[in-house]
Amino acid sequence: MVKKRVPDWLNSSVWSSPQPPPSPPSKEPVKSTASPIVEPPLPPEPPRTSSSHATGAAKGGIRDPLSSNYGSNSSICHSDEENRSSSANSTVSAGGVQSAHPAAEEISRQVQLLQELSRKVINMGELRRLASQGIPGAAGIRATVWKLLLGYLPPDRSLWPSELAKKRSQYKHFREELLMNPSEITRRLEKSSTENNELDGSPGFLTRSEVTHGEHPLSLGKNSIWNQFFQDSEIVQQIDRDVKRTHPDIHFFSGDSTFAISNQEALRNILIVFAKLNPGIKYVQGMNEILAPLFYVFKNDPDEENSASAEADTFFCFVELLSGFRDNFVQQLDNSVVGIRSTLTRLSQLLKEHDEELWRHLEITTKVNPQFYAFRWITLLLTQEFNFTDSLFIWDALLSDPDGPQETLLRICCAMLIIVRKRLLAGDFTSNLKLLQHYPSTNISHLLYVADKLRIPLAG
Amino acid sequence: MVLVLALGDLHIPHRAPDLPAKFKSMLVPGKIQHVICTGNLCAKEVHDYLKTVCPDLHITRGEYDEEPRYPETKTLTIGQFKLGVCHGHQVIPWGDLDSLAMLQRQLDVDILVTGHTHQFTAYKHEAGVVINPGSATGAFSSITYDVNPSFVLMDIDGLRVVVYVYELIDGEVKVDKIDFKKTTTATA
Repeated sequence: MVKKRVPDWLNSSVWSSPQPPPSPPSKEPVKSTASPIVEPPLPPEPPRTSSSHATGAAKGGIRDPLSSNYGSNSSICHSDEENRSSSANSTVSAGGVQSAHPAAEEISRQVQLLQELSRKVINMGELRRLASQGIPGAAGIRATVWKLLLGYLPPDRSLWPSELAKKRSQYKHFREELLMNPSEITRRLEKSSTENNELDGSPGFLTRSEVTHGEHPLSLGKNSIWNQFFQDSEIVQQIDRDVKRTHPDIHFFSGDSTFAISNQEALRNILIVFAKLNPGIKYVQGMNEILAPLFYVFKNDPDEENSASAEADTFFCFVELLSGFRDNFVQQLDNSVVGIRSTLTRLSQLLKEHDEELWRHLEITTKVNPQFYAFRWITLLLTQEFNFTDSLFIWDALLSDPDGPQETLLRICCAMLIIVRKRLLAGDFTSNLKLLQHYPSTNISHLLYVADKLRIPLAG
Repeated sequence: MVLVLALGDLHIPHRAPDLPAKFKSMLVPGKIQHVICTGNLCAKEVHDYLKTVCPDLHITRGEYDEEPRYPETKTLTIGQFKLGVCHGHQVIPWGDLDSLAMLQRQLDVDILVTGHTHQFTAYKHEAGVVINPGSATGAFSSITYDVNPSFVLMDIDGLRVVVYVYELIDGEVKVDKIDFKKTTTATA
């Protein structure tokens, strides 16, 4: 059935994002989504929308109530650790504080998350549900939650130390093996050789020896380690350039401090190891952008040991995350069923299903095709469209959704379009393209709420 | 891991038309960091060609070079090693190892690269190592007509040098290597 009219629920003032407040340019990623929003008159799900208050204004308030609340709740948590009455427990606490300070909502969520994480065997479904609402402030949880969501850590807590040790040593081997240059390799291979001439002063001709397997630096043979080294050096140079350009405005990644340099070094190593282990896809520009938030979150883990092994953990989680999106980076697959073109078509379809008027206006009237704006949204998982902290929240939703990151990403992109529909409908090709390529900053919880709404199949 | 190419005595165009094709196919730009040339190129075009292989070119004057402004000797430091370059026609008797050792002490270098004899040699004595990369085109010399084209590639890695010797024997490229290391670090 062709729908000419926009459905009523879409037309309510809830969906249009208000004029965004000028976000303060900050060097440190600070939560800046403080735009006040009208309390929606018909909240279909209970506490979700009120969380929009929590992120911005009450940030200062969160720290103090946190310790006292957590303290009081934790005693209850520990006693109920094994049984499943925790949900009843949390609703009691949530109901109790809901009428009070809005930040309490976020605190209770944090409490629930911490409680969930402290169980012996973590219930992944419950964790996903909690995480999809956004993982609040304390960065410590985010690192662990992401590791669980990406399948790096198994749900059974007791297996964590052995799994971590195994994976970390595996990464160490990869690193040593793959980052060695050919001089070192030949030296190791010939440790037993006795032809080493010492310059000890006794005159005489230097002894010559045969070259093993035709291995010399100018070798053009396919199997020559030297030849492979020089071929890889192009990729390594590309990786170097991209790593230096990652997030130049954030101190963690760029600048001259030894901290930033060591972080860049870690990013570089991870990307080189990945490129060498995956000769089919190697390195494509943009992978550094997907790697950056992962490494940032893991490196900032308050647990010392985890932070020190952030590089190894990030590598495996990066591989896991990229496995769903690999096809976007392979040029030969661009036009195929799994490639980026078909993903863009699916986004188009999704928009058409939910908001035909906007779709028609965008694609037919103003001819703004998704590949002009959504290419970057999809391949870089929205890291370039919002400020760093906001993109971490979006990734919370992306990683935790049971539908999978690809589907969720499309829904969020669709939501991004719908939120600015008033401006899009009023604009022509140039202004629409400009708006979508420089997407205005918006309230992230609101965006995620809209995206979630799109999950519901349309009623006729 | 620094790759240094050492070659010389090409005598292009007087005694040889060009480098052997097999050598040329191996000398691909982008792999080598420095080039040391003992001299007797002789034409300017050879200089330009060597510059395309690697922009960092060090060259000394041979007696038949057409460019008068190359220096007689040159010294440079690569990593922990000091290298010296001289064509060798100035050192009499030609190719005499003791006289070359004197030149090496005079220049105060660990590795001396000379040419003129068109024969590959690698010799060590108290003051250091003398390497003669031979003639890269196999041009005849004043001493002998029977010359195999050869050149040398040094891989300098910390205190260790691996010298790869490339020779064209009966139309085939033969590669040997020589391994040596310094026992003490260079003083600053």
